[in-house]
Amino acid sequence: MFAAIRPAGQDFPLLLHIVGATIVFGGLLASIAALALARGEAKLLRVGYYSLLLVALPGMAIMWGAGEWLYHKQGWNKLPSNLKNVDWLTIGFIVGDYGGLFFIAALVIGGIGIRRLNSGKSDGGLLKVTLVMALVLALGYIVAVWAMTGKPTGSTAAPAVAASSTATSTAVTVDATEFKFTLTKMQVPHGTVVFTLVNQGKVSHDFSINGKTSALVAPGKSTTITVSLAAGKYLYVCTVPGHANAGMEGTLIAT
Amino acid sequence: MSYVDWIFALHLLTAATLVGGFVMTWIVVVVLRSVNAPDETLSLNRIVVIGSAVIVVGLVGTISLGIWTAFLRPELRPWHGWAIAAIVLWAIAAAAVLRSFVEYAKPAQKARELIAAGKTGPSDELRALNRATTGLLLRGLASAAVVLIVIDMIYKPGA
Repeated sequence: MFAAIRPAGQDFPLLLHIVGATIVFGGLLASIAALALARGEAKLLRVGYYSLLLVALPGMAIMWGAGEWLYHKQGWNKLPSNLKNVDWLTIGFIVGDYGGLFFIAALVIGGIGIRRLNSGKSDGGLLKVTLVMALVLALGYIVAVWAMTGKPTGSTAAPAVAASSTATSTAVTVDATEFKFTLTKMQVPHGTVVFTLVNQGKVSHDFSINGKTSALVAPGKSTTITVSLAAGKYLYVCTVPGHANAGMEGTLIAT
Repeated sequence: MSYVDWIFALHLLTAATLVGGFVMTWIVVVVLRSVNAPDETLSLNRIVVIGSAVIVVGLVGTISLGIWTAFLRPELRPWHGWAIAAIVLWAIAAAAVLRSFVEYAKPAQKARELIAAGKTGPSDELRALNRATTGLLLRGLASAAVVLIVIDMIYKPGA
């Protein structure tokens, strides 16, 4: 998150990712405005096309490269697929990857249009296609910025349930700080386990185990999740980007 | 998404709009430096006007939603050092960029006067206005302040 306290080492790739994204967005805005206002005027058609080629394209390379760097820095590549397939990240990848291909197609079509314009064979009609594609891309980036910043949760986020201790359930208190979990028990009997997450840190955290993720808990607050565990080893993590890689992960044993 | 998440997401969308607006107008400002014809100056000025509107939306949205976010989120407060630094930088950026709008209106005004006088050909005076350093310096100052805001927001010194 832009305005959150992050583990060390993630700030610079995030800065590059954001700078790249805003350069792409600015290049797209300039291109859209120039192509929409051109009405056949060669100067504006060229400004529209070269804004895409010389500004938005390098911005996209920076955004994409820094995004991949951040993905690895935050340890997403090490998480199980049920944890890393979150909606906001999927939206980011769709816009980044498929949007990138769409962007290249817009550039190729626009390039042909500019070539025909320069040779006097056309009044730049093909650049109208580039304009429409740039508009679609700009809308895609708005959705991506919303998704990457608001981080809407989908199937991986399970609502927290009230603690309901039964005769066969085990209670485990999980203290969260920056950036580690402290569990009152590292080994529990198999069956129902009620985890009480207490956030004693300065930033929000959650707790995810065996496919269930607690609500995001603000500093000083707590929540509980009830999970059914068969005998085995279970990875637990904080799913806030970068927190697991910074140390908020571990293994609980159910006997 | 919670209410707080929505406000925060809108804050960052307006921040992206602000920086995007700066990138957009920089492109045109650079192109304008080689322009000396009144009609081309006016055409490019239309993009500057749109870019300026985008910047104003970004400026207003960023500061209002940013302060709102700082009150809503328990780990953030507007009186934290890095937040005060961001607000001061925002004020510098806003003052500089609003003043630069006045500077960049001058070549457009001159182009209109030339066209009204029937002088549609290249003009050295117009070229000089398009290459004037005052607007460029103000825009450079505003852009530097915005870049520093982004760095401040990410690194949050003292947080």
